[in-house]
Amino acid sequence: MNGPRAPILQLDEVMYHYADGSSGLDHCSLAIAQGSRNAVIGVNGSGKTTLFQHANGLFMAEHGSVRYAGQPLDYSRKGLRELRSKVGLVFQNPDRQLFSASVLEDVSFGPLNLGLDEATVRRRVDTALAAVGMLEQAAKPVHALSFGQKKRVCIAGVLAMEPELLVLDEPMAGLDPQMQAELLAVLEDLHDKGISLLISTHDVEFAYQWADTIHVMQQGRCVLSLDAYDLPAHGADLARAGLALPAVIGLHAELVCQGLLKPRPQPRSTRELLTLLGAREKDNSMLENSASLARRAV
Amino acid sequence: MLIERCAYSNHWRSVSPAAKALFAMCGLLAAFLAAKPQAACSVALLLAVVTCAGGRIRPLAYLRAATPALLFLATGSLSLLISVHASPAGVPQIGWAPNALPQMAHLAGRSLAALAALLMLVLTTPLPDSIGLLRRLHVPDLLLDLMVLCYRMLFVFSSAMQDTASAQASRLGYATPRLALRSAGMLAANLTLQVWQRATALHTAALARANDGPLRFLSPQFAHARRDTCIAGLAGMAVIALGVLA
Repeated sequence: MNGPRAPILQLDEVMYHYADGSSGLDHCSLAIAQGSRNAVIGVNGSGKTTLFQHANGLFMAEHGSVRYAGQPLDYSRKGLRELRSKVGLVFQNPDRQLFSASVLEDVSFGPLNLGLDEATVRRRVDTALAAVGMLEQAAKPVHALSFGQKKRVCIAGVLAMEPELLVLDEPMAGLDPQMQAELLAVLEDLHDKGISLLISTHDVEFAYQWADTIHVMQQGRCVLSLDAYDLPAHGADLARAGLALPAVIGLHAELVCQGLLKPRPQPRSTRELLTLLGAREKDNSMLENSASLARRAV
Repeated sequence: MLIERCAYSNHWRSVSPAAKALFAMCGLLAAFLAAKPQAACSVALLLAVVTCAGGRIRPLAYLRAATPALLFLATGSLSLLISVHASPAGVPQIGWAPNALPQMAHLAGRSLAALAALLMLVLTTPLPDSIGLLRRLHVPDLLLDLMVLCYRMLFVFSSAMQDTASAQASRLGYATPRLALRSAGMLAANLTLQVWQRATALHTAALARANDGPLRFLSPQFAHARRDTCIAGLAGMAVIALGVLA
């Protein structure tokens, strides 16, 4: 078993107000472990996007501190360039991120800003587009892409900068189940490559299924950070934040009460629950066969 | 959109934009050098045939793309045949000017040839490729940034406008002339606000990807650029010869 991993990003008591006086973050503290999958869940207006813009240095904390790899953020031009090469931010609406004429151009934008030479940029662009399955669309104009493809190009545009931490604001919003599954596969690949992932979502089911750590945001504050496996014990906390426990947790608990399943292992999706039930059926039929054989032998 | 569709789907899509631009420039030069209206018309016809045959562009699509410019050209040319002069009594009179016919024919022929040369370029070359070429030619960054943003925003706002107009129409926003006027005004106001918001969002997105100056992009690469440019140069000289000698 691995020990606790060092935080790659850490917010301590961060406060932020928008120009109209509304509160964006209110004494928000959380830590993102290196190489981990993190989901930030919360209702609309709970501060998820504001939190993400602090991670990338787009917003500067009025109070408290934001640390990357243990060091407070450096908001100088050089410091921000270095930070943004390490923390990639993918926005929720792709049309607000993509502004180049073609896919190739847009994906090359970030690495060229890092001052890399053309050969390196071309290699990175090809790798990033291949990672999101968009290499064949490189010459296409951005406006000819579907919504899901645009989202992929947004991710490729950030991946081409080879970040250590990838922050995605509502990546599943507006995607159909097929596209969600494809995007999930892309994220799994990135995680396997050691990239730390931070995702915001309203979908608690998805967060529970995918994340190592879940952070619950409420009114600009991270009110709870917990290992995803501990989520079933925090139904009341989630309810206070306006969220509900995933259905699979209640279903599993009921099946445990009925004596049909054991408390462990704990399924994190309906598919896992069905697999457990299937395995149980198989065990029962094997037991019945064994008992019947034993009776015959006696 | 028709030009955009042709530019992305034509047979010369993978030909170097430098070659196509060189050929178009030769076409423009041929139009300028054409000594007679017939020569200019021959150049125009040749360029149109080359565009449709080489780029595999349907003649009907070509004509549709050319129609607005042709109408403009026809109006401008016909106006040369009309003269306004004062009668002996000092009253302004409008009449035909048959003497201007040769001049009009020459001007229209040259314009037609120049139009055909430019259509050859725009119908076979997507704008991002043209911008990439301009970038290699060291056109100022500011101009290129504006071109890139305008091109992208054209489609974003076209989509936003259609969405908003559809939403208005579905709630009877265009049921009467009075309502239509009101809805159109609201649409314009809404789009103005969106322009502002999108500009801020794009600036933020650019910052998030470490941008702190001009917008930098990779240009697409073309495998046979040198060969294509040589062929275009030779073909261009033939067009110039036609313009001069015909």
